[in-house]
Amino acid sequence: MAKKFKKHSGLLLIIVFLLLIFIYNHNLFRKFYNIIFTNYETRLIEKHGYCYDDSVGFLRMLKKKYKFNFNPLIINYEDSVPNSGWSIYDTYNKIDKNHKILLNYPKKYLLNFKPLDNIFYSKDNIMHSNGIENIVFNLKNTNIRIDSDIKIYRKTLNKKDIIYEGNFHKIINNNQKIPIQFITKKINSRYKATFIEISELNADQLAKINSITLNLNHEFDLKDFTIIEKFNNCYYVK
Amino acid sequence: MSEIISIFSQILFILFIISFPVIILNNNSKSKFCEFSLIDKLCINLIFLINVLFFASILNINSKYILYLYLFLIIFLYFFNFKKINFKNIKINYYFLILLLFIILISIDIAHELYFAWDTKSFWFFKTLNFYQNQKFENLKNFPISDWPHLGAYIWSFFWKFPFSGYEYFGRITYAFIYVLSIFSIVEIVKVHIYQKIILAILFISLTYNYEFFSGLQDILIFSFILIASKFTYYFFEKRYKTKLLELTFILLGIANILCWIKNEGLFFIFFLIFCILIIKNLDLKTKKLLITGSLTIFLIKIFILNYYEIFNSDHFIGSLDFKIFNLFEKMKIISLYLSIYLTQVPIYLITLPILIYTSFKYKMKDITKFNLFFLILNLLFIYVAFLFKSSETELQVRFSLKRVLFETSGFYFLAIVIFINNYLHSFNQKIFSSFKKKH
Repeated sequence: MAKKFKKHSGLLLIIVFLLLIFIYNHNLFRKFYNIIFTNYETRLIEKHGYCYDDSVGFLRMLKKKYKFNFNPLIINYEDSVPNSGWSIYDTYNKIDKNHKILLNYPKKYLLNFKPLDNIFYSKDNIMHSNGIENIVFNLKNTNIRIDSDIKIYRKTLNKKDIIYEGNFHKIINNNQKIPIQFITKKINSRYKATFIEISELNADQLAKINSITLNLNHEFDLKDFTIIEKFNNCYYVK
Repeated sequence: MSEIISIFSQILFILFIISFPVIILNNNSKSKFCEFSLIDKLCINLIFLINVLFFASILNINSKYILYLYLFLIIFLYFFNFKKINFKNIKINYYFLILLLFIILISIDIAHELYFAWDTKSFWFFKTLNFYQNQKFENLKNFPISDWPHLGAYIWSFFWKFPFSGYEYFGRITYAFIYVLSIFSIVEIVKVHIYQKIILAILFISLTYNYEFFSGLQDILIFSFILIASKFTYYFFEKRYKTKLLELTFILLGIANILCWIKNEGLFFIFFLIFCILIIKNLDLKTKKLLITGSLTIFLIKIFILNYYEIFNSDHFIGSLDFKIFNLFEKMKIISLYLSIYLTQVPIYLITLPILIYTSFKYKMKDITKFNLFFLILNLLFIYVAFLFKSSETELQVRFSLKRVLFETSGFYFLAIVIFINNYLHSFNQKIFSSFKKKH
């Protein structure tokens, strides 16, 4: 046996070396240590968040405390994760829409648009709005006159999907809230950028606009519900 | 510490379960299945077990009965064979030990990382929960995209529930087991010393391992089973296995059934593989008939089950297609762009494709090389066709899923490395032999 190992000692050394590289690359000694000294629940919450990202910690706390015999409606405002329902879902229960859990609830729900050539674009994602409340122009000057159509849209293979279209004929002051009150769910999209086009403004006028903000209406407004449990911006409401 | 012990026990449990039927029937049977290597036998048992689990899932048989039956048969056969086992003849299989070591290492990574991928949170975990909580197959209708296959989720739920019903990641350790087994399986056919095989296996794992693939996604299962299928199709081209064509055909059909119930594209990949064998390899009529009727049966069973349980959502399917010709050119451009980017991001392609091209020109074109090239063409065609006719969101679809689709089949191209090494060694040996002849 010893002879056999001696004969292939070079290959064996390479194997050991490669194994150690693999262990080192994936930090496996540290992970092994963590598994021994940190329990599963803590590790899970570290990965999925208590009241951020999936907010699994908050959800599991609620399930433990309130012993749900239904599946509450879970709305997560964090766009980098899908619905967090998976973490407390019971396949034997039905969804009770009266009980809602709002995770990562933003106080201000808005879309920020930056200039891009002759249009403005926003990469922000909105998923739970039911319309546009107002529009705010951040200007370089104190005011600007706009006599133009304003189009808010998204693109699919160069085709415009119009969300809102309106005529503006007024002088607009810097950071003035101009009410729109337009009810639409088309504003919600997880993946696509949104564009604003003010077609009849010339390049000089466009250059005077720093950015545009759309303030949106919440689909689930906290004012409409009774808060049962709260932690930071995670809410259990009814 | 108890969690670490549970992880070890889980691995031993999986090993125990997949020792049936071929390994423990070894001493009693004259079946040709018993002539395969230990790794092959483990693969065959795995394919058998997953097919059993598949039928249990669609027939709504409680998985605990499957476990009891398995335990009863295994324990009975172990006792029955106990006297026949010659303990003095038992040798340490280092290849197998390294395989186990890697399963342990990856299991530790899975147990630590714990996070789920997007699709896992949205779809796969709900399917797993459905079976973990002993719901019936038809209950899948209540979850999003019910017509996506369920078998990967069923395997996850089975090993999550048994033997400890502990943490969900115990089920995903099975994925690690299948993955490592598939890598060691393909490396086994390289005609080099066992230590060199181990080195190659470690390199393959280092090249492909990423926790992301074990975050509940099913792509790693497709990758692994395609790898196992590639190994057994390689046997179709080997003279040594000429007498085992029937067994190989059954194994391939077993894998085909698994793949088509893990992800929809799995069905296409395995049928491409079978199609390539039928075209390239001169098989006897009986094997050809078996392969064709077997493939058709698997396909028809799938259609029948989806319709019987009314799980297939035809509106969703039709809605996801778009046959407008004026968009095709635009879509082709998008697909080609992302394809060229992602081909460079999946390192296996960067290594295997040049090797495949080099081997085809450098050495005499063998059937197995033709087979490899033919599969590559079908694979690329599939990618174009699948994404060309997707509805409006082509760019999003391509951006998010093309890399995964490429990864799924990438394992198959390990065959290129195997062919290259075996060809190189063959010509090297011939040179030595001819120079030896000249001297004498």
